[in-house]
Amino acid sequence: MSASTTSHRLYKALFITLLLVFALVYLAPLYVMLTTSFKGIEEIRNGNILALPTTLNGSAWSKAWSSACTGGDCYGLAPYFWNSMRIVLPAVFISTVIGALNGYVLSQWRFTGSNFLFGALLFGCFIPFQVILLPMAKLLAWLGLANTVPGLVLVHVIYGVAFTTLFFRNYYVGIPTELVRAARLDGAGFFAIFRHVFLPLSAPIIVVSIIWQFTQIWNDFLFGVVYSGPGTQPITVALNNLVNTTMGGKEYNVDMAAAVIAALPTLVVYLVAGKYFVRGLTAGAVKG
Amino acid sequence: MGSIKIQQLTKSFGDTEVLKGIDLDIKDGEFLILVGPSGCGKSTLMNSIAGLEDVSSGDILIDGDNVTDLSPKERDIAMVFQSYALYPTMSVSRNISFGLEMRKVPKAEIAKTVADVSQLLQIEHLLDRKPSALSGGQRQRVAMGRALARNPRVFLFDEPLSNLDAKLRVEMRTEIKKLHKRLGTTIVYVTHDQVEAMTLADRIAVMKDGQVQQFGTPYEIYNNPANRFVADFMGSPPMNFIECVVLDDKLVIESQGEKFELHINHGERLKQAGVETVILGIRPEMITEPKPHVEGALVHSIPMQVDVTEPMGPDTIAFGQWNGTEIQARLSPEAGVEAQATGHVKVQVDTSKAVFFDAFSGARLDA
Repeated sequence: MSASTTSHRLYKALFITLLLVFALVYLAPLYVMLTTSFKGIEEIRNGNILALPTTLNGSAWSKAWSSACTGGDCYGLAPYFWNSMRIVLPAVFISTVIGALNGYVLSQWRFTGSNFLFGALLFGCFIPFQVILLPMAKLLAWLGLANTVPGLVLVHVIYGVAFTTLFFRNYYVGIPTELVRAARLDGAGFFAIFRHVFLPLSAPIIVVSIIWQFTQIWNDFLFGVVYSGPGTQPITVALNNLVNTTMGGKEYNVDMAAAVIAALPTLVVYLVAGKYFVRGLTAGAVKG
Repeated sequence: MGSIKIQQLTKSFGDTEVLKGIDLDIKDGEFLILVGPSGCGKSTLMNSIAGLEDVSSGDILIDGDNVTDLSPKERDIAMVFQSYALYPTMSVSRNISFGLEMRKVPKAEIAKTVADVSQLLQIEHLLDRKPSALSGGQRQRVAMGRALARNPRVFLFDEPLSNLDAKLRVEMRTEIKKLHKRLGTTIVYVTHDQVEAMTLADRIAVMKDGQVQQFGTPYEIYNNPANRFVADFMGSPPMNFIECVVLDDKLVIESQGEKFELHINHGERLKQAGVETVILGIRPEMITEPKPHVEGALVHSIPMQVDVTEPMGPDTIAFGQWNGTEIQARLSPEAGVEAQATGHVKVQVDTSKAVFFDAFSGARLDA
């Protein structure tokens, strides 16, 4: 074996070790969360934080889901989980549809000022949430949507459209305009061309849009805490309340189970559609 | 039916005038070619006929109906694009039927049309494939099939062969010509390839800088060009342009230090016009090796130095110099070999088809 192969192997082993260490450090909190959530409260107090649970105890999970106290109520995270779903699903759907149509118009049906409009929409991606808190609260109150699920949907749609438009516009700009011209000569109108020619091409970018929007909206805390009422709080707000509500001692196992429950949907979305996400993000760079 | 009348059509993008008053009268069933260098406005003119671009002023009439302000789908026109523009997610069969589907044609009729068209173009075996699984030539056929299925009043072809390799291009060219003969539908065809223009057209409109330079049959365009631009653009190898001094009713050619007088048609007209110098336009095939059976006052014998030869197969192009201008002569392969070996050749010059242009404006002087 030559010297160069030996040193090459050494480097490779070094890199892999390094990567493993990073991965371990990154995954350690998740490990602690999962193990802690299956321990009893006595075991947590007396045992090592890194130790595996002696028995698999699911009581913390059921408590977190259905009976833990979040502020005054003690129904667990379940109602808030469904609140979040009621906010996220329509908001993701509406912002994706609007983004697709915007992108279609801005890339294929250019008009005077369309570039300016796109620039203005792009600007929306860079506005911090905090800046618009007060004016948006005023607007929601004026619309009669304060503290309601539709109000939160509206806020997330408005914020999301900037991103979804950007995604779809950049994806559609790679589709030759001659396709639109051919379809127009074939007698198809604006929506028929979108439905028959563009939509069937859009699967990768729709996945990108859905993952992005789902993650953003599901994980949102600020809008959720500011614009929700007692019955419309999303799960992120409920999780915060759950962790901060203490009756007697701190129940770390319940807190951990609740945190995993709150993170689970975004994890599932990534696992199911993750490979399309990467594919969709790079699709624009490849000529078909 | 599909006659097209274009009247005083102009089109501007901002301050740039792309079409400067186009007038064309295209007869029903005619194969019209729009040809010209890139940027001459030929594609813009075609898009205007299709309705894909608004015009600034002027009118477009199809069968006498003014369609200037109609949308593309109301014009009953089908187009074959340079990039083919096939719908990538649809099968070949659906690509062909899409236009009929959009026009709410009954299903049974659509099926019959797809069958007929695919048989005509010999693409029956491809009907279930996606465009990405087709070769360039097959895509080209499908694109034509999509246009044919609609049975429109007018076909528009936008450089349809420019993405094919040379051999396939020649094959498809012949096929398009046969197809036109069979269908008899009006075709407007854009190309920058003068060979395509000559071989396909009933009539050719040669364009430059947003204006039609000449509108005529391939024979007229080739043999009787309206100006130097048309003469230069049409024909390969190109026409020779030699600046000559007018001596009485003859022209003077200087070759290898010797002076020769050329007898020409219409010499007295040049004399009357009182021009001192003129641009002689003569095609390479009129400068050949001596052919004993060709004689007459307009046939001359002139020695020529040969700088380089280009054997083409059926003939050989020899490059020489007259009046300090590079000229091309078309020799037989045998004469070409000899010219290459000796470095000079005695050519026979026939001025019966020569044309004359103004040295400054490029306008025809003898027409």
